[in-house]
Amino acid sequence: MAVKTEAAPYLDVFRPNAGEPAWLRDARAKARDAFVARGFPSRRDEAWRFTNLRPLADKPFEPGHGKLELKPGSLPKGAWFASMARTLIEKPEIARRAIGESDLAGGQPFASLNAAMFADGFVLALDEGVTLDPPVEIVHSAGDGSINLRNLIVLAPSSRATIVERYCGEGAYWTNTVTTVSVGAGASLTHVKVQDEGPEAIHFGMVRAALEPAATYRNFGLTLGANLSRQDVQVAHGIGSIVDLAGAYLQRGDQDTTNAVVVDHAAPGATTRELFKGVLDKRSHGAFLGTIRVREGAQKTDAKQTSRALLLSDRASVDTKPELEILADDVKCAHGAAVGDLDKDTLFYLRARGIGIDEARRMLIEAFVLEAFETVEQPELRGHLAARVRVWLEAA
Amino acid sequence: MLEIKNLHASVDGGREILKGVSLTVRAGEVHAIMGPNGSGKSTLAGILAGRDGYDITRGSVIYDGRDLLAMSPEDRARAGIFLAFQYPVEIPGVNNMYFLRVALNAGRKARGEPELDAGQFLKTVRNKLKLLEIDDDLLQRGVNVGFSGGEKKRNEIFQMAMLEPRLAILDETDSGLDIDALRVVANGINRLRAPNRAIVMITHYQRLLDHVAPDFVHVLSEGRIVRSGDKSLAAELEKTGYAGVGV
Amino acid sequence: MTDSAQALVSDSYKYGFVTDIDEDRAPPGLNEDVIRFISAKKGEPEWLLEWRLGAFGRWQKMSEPKWANVHFPPIDYQAASYYSAPKQKAAPKSIDDVDPELLRTYEKLGIPLHERKALAGVAVDAVFDSVSVATTFKDKLGELGIIFCSFGEAVREHGDLVQQYLGSVVPQGDNFYAALNSAVFSDGSFVYVPPGVRCPMELSTYFRINAAKTGQFERTLVIADKGAYVSYLEGCTAPQRDENQLHAAVVELVALDDAQIKYSTVQNWYPGDAEGRGGIYNFVTKRGACRGARSKISWTQVETGSAITWKYPGCLLEGDDSVGEFYSVAVTNNRQQADTGTKMIHLGRNTRSTIISKGISAGKGQNTYRGLVRVQPKAVNSRNYTQCDSLLIGQKCGAHTVPYIEVRNPSSRVEHEATTSKISEEQMFYCRSRGLSQEDALSLIVNGFCKEVLKELPMEFAVEAQKLLSVSLEGSVG
Repeated sequence: MAVKTEAAPYLDVFRPNAGEPAWLRDARAKARDAFVARGFPSRRDEAWRFTNLRPLADKPFEPGHGKLELKPGSLPKGAWFASMARTLIEKPEIARRAIGESDLAGGQPFASLNAAMFADGFVLALDEGVTLDPPVEIVHSAGDGSINLRNLIVLAPSSRATIVERYCGEGAYWTNTVTTVSVGAGASLTHVKVQDEGPEAIHFGMVRAALEPAATYRNFGLTLGANLSRQDVQVAHGIGSIVDLAGAYLQRGDQDTTNAVVVDHAAPGATTRELFKGVLDKRSHGAFLGTIRVREGAQKTDAKQTSRALLLSDRASVDTKPELEILADDVKCAHGAAVGDLDKDTLFYLRARGIGIDEARRMLIEAFVLEAFETVEQPELRGHLAARVRVWLEAA
Repeated sequence: MLEIKNLHASVDGGREILKGVSLTVRAGEVHAIMGPNGSGKSTLAGILAGRDGYDITRGSVIYDGRDLLAMSPEDRARAGIFLAFQYPVEIPGVNNMYFLRVALNAGRKARGEPELDAGQFLKTVRNKLKLLEIDDDLLQRGVNVGFSGGEKKRNEIFQMAMLEPRLAILDETDSGLDIDALRVVANGINRLRAPNRAIVMITHYQRLLDHVAPDFVHVLSEGRIVRSGDKSLAAELEKTGYAGVGV
Repeated sequence: MTDSAQALVSDSYKYGFVTDIDEDRAPPGLNEDVIRFISAKKGEPEWLLEWRLGAFGRWQKMSEPKWANVHFPPIDYQAASYYSAPKQKAAPKSIDDVDPELLRTYEKLGIPLHERKALAGVAVDAVFDSVSVATTFKDKLGELGIIFCSFGEAVREHGDLVQQYLGSVVPQGDNFYAALNSAVFSDGSFVYVPPGVRCPMELSTYFRINAAKTGQFERTLVIADKGAYVSYLEGCTAPQRDENQLHAAVVELVALDDAQIKYSTVQNWYPGDAEGRGGIYNFVTKRGACRGARSKISWTQVETGSAITWKYPGCLLEGDDSVGEFYSVAVTNNRQQADTGTKMIHLGRNTRSTIISKGISAGKGQNTYRGLVRVQPKAVNSRNYTQCDSLLIGQKCGAHTVPYIEVRNPSSRVEHEATTSKISEEQMFYCRSRGLSQEDALSLIVNGFCKEVLKELPMEFAVEAQKLLSVSLEGSVG
């Protein structure tokens, strides 16, 4: 078997675990083979053209450790919220859904690596009609090495939940998460992620979501931390389902972040709204790749994608690629992208009312960023995200 | 209070717009600056408030003994200058109330006064709101976002009432107002006339002057003040047009 | 599709006839000898032969680009002939020396080459297969110092200018097809407008592929010296043949300080039949360099023909305050595929670019807008505005929008907007209830959709382009 150089160190540390069920051992072996044959993606791969993987390629990470904390609040009957390790033992039939064919195929190398190596993660599963209120929370803090987390969210029809993930840590480490999401018919999931990793960290997050008819999936991401980070969200619509995908990335120093979202309309009558906001200061770099795909027969699709970025420094840069692939005629699809600095007239208006230039800039940046979270339904959650943004702005 | 001497200004690197404007404004006075389109009225307002994009080639502006042109826009605002914008800017995501409180407290802080807490601030807002017949819910929106033309202009005067400037410059505040809105705005302005406050109204038409009687009227044409007089000059202009006064 | 609609589609390509004329052609295949043959045929100087061989060397190491959203069976580059010229006893000195059969061909195409019959205000260079057969109004232009001639003549008469600018915008090894063109290009047009001169008439090249089993590889070079202005038009047709033919042209534009070049194309190569048999592969590299301060290059294209279109006319905005524009209408019907767009590279200060792209997909056509807007660190205060609209007619076609926006400068502002829509039943019904036929209603709505682009075309071309749009979409509704 041909092994790509950069993948070799990860092959060396791979150890089959005899205690695991056969299906899992088998899947891990396949995923490992797929990863080592494929290696890291390169900038020639369209989906990775804006992401510089050098920090990862320069120095392979040993398997590391993180602390995974689950804050369930009060769980109603019909709700399962536990670690992946525990779920594998107690509810293997649920855990199995966390690994899919694409992990074994190698098209997404880091998802394959994750499938081969993961030790833990979280699982949230709701029975039909169960409503989870208030939100459940996951906090992961890391310190060293590479940490692969495999997460799973399964909402049975007509259930509702809000889940908040937070990633933090200190030191040089690599968090690589893969989250499989399934939202049943008429169910509704609000999925919030705050990436606030330490300044030397690398963070990759991949979400693959499949929606059944009339499901609602809202995904909000706030990217603040890590030296190199990437968030992939891939959603497959059901008939008449609703997707609300929004993200804000605030970067400074020499941080580099990519948001790559793919929304696939294979079923008719579904709605997508995407809104991404970037703020890039100092020498940071941000990228947004967004694809909306409307397949043949997906009539009455209504999709809108917006990406906006502010460059605050001469050395900051941004790359944007908003893409539409439309193969059905009776659709409403639009995208807009803009890059620039703060509007001069607006800035002058604030200053003409006596607000100092730094304060004025902060107010406008905050307003710019928080637009991404306007559709977060819970006011406390919205307030929490706003507070994180404010902390970032005041650290300038 | 304000002393403009032989002010020459051009748009960045281009055409000269003001060609020697001189004007003295004392506390308690209301001045109207009138003139046809393109005469330099809005340029003058912009320069006084510190807008970017103009080159001052000659002349000076002294405000309370200070060189106004050397001050940043926010320092001018904190020193009591208020510009009511001809086209108030929409600022999505910045709540109107929040904006006002930050602005008000920035001025208070600069003057060494204590900042208003939320309760005191709210009380002040309630008082002034009535004056301009502004709906409460407008204040909960983003600054000027989704406001009608008239609401924007009323909001400008409301901000003026809140910030209590010493020198207010109203740039075409009457444009785009229907007769009822004009009366409300004019009423607001009249209530803000005070012995320690000067008001400069910039306008194309004299209809605002029917409601707010100026002490002095100046006609600006091709970058110069070509005539000055009392309010009868405005009436004359109304009858004869700008051509009638030799413009 | 109904039988009558089918008939309409196959009838719709009016320029599918073949001219029966003796030709001089190179044997099939591509190697250094063929390149020497072409160069010798054209009596070229040594430097140009070396340049061609250099390009060939690069081409051999390159592979076809795979990133475009177009699909076709592999091309056998050794099967085609790389030189075909109508046999003429000697180079024609004037129109009267040109083979009457050729003149008739151009008359049938609506491009009369006799100056007395010619369109007022349009000078034409007619390129038939590999060579330029006639250039009109040369003397009149010459009085102003404007050079407008075939590329071959330019090499002979104005070698210094050609050597100075050839490959300066599109380097030999720019891409696979440009390298191929650089090795084997046969003819094309050359324009030089001297400082301060405003070219008084539209300059135009009319390209015609006639021979079977050949490709066409023309090369166009337009130079507007300081303060000069020129408007240039380009039209293309080809006979209806069952095999695919390759057209790999290169166009280079250079605008010096304060110069303006307006380049308009109506591309109507044979698109193939409804089943996708035949048609031209139109793989073209077009690029303009706004080299001087305050220079401006404006591309306008109406792309209705070709089985496959692969072209991205772009602007290198090098000079401060320079301006680049791209206005495009691309229609794909039946099984046509188009992957087209532009590149705007902002290098100088205060540079501006505008992109308006209208894609219309019908039948089983696939239409992709692919564009790059890049603002480099030194391009302070630059602006781009992009608008891409797609119109879908029918359920089997596709519209794709793939913009790349890369910004390295905080004082610049880049805005991109894209929409996709279909022709609404309401619009169609409204028109028809006012007495318009279905076809007329469609044509009316499509022309409205494309208006912002069509208004950029010179008058003579705008009318032709409108007609062409209607013809290209015949049979796509009902």
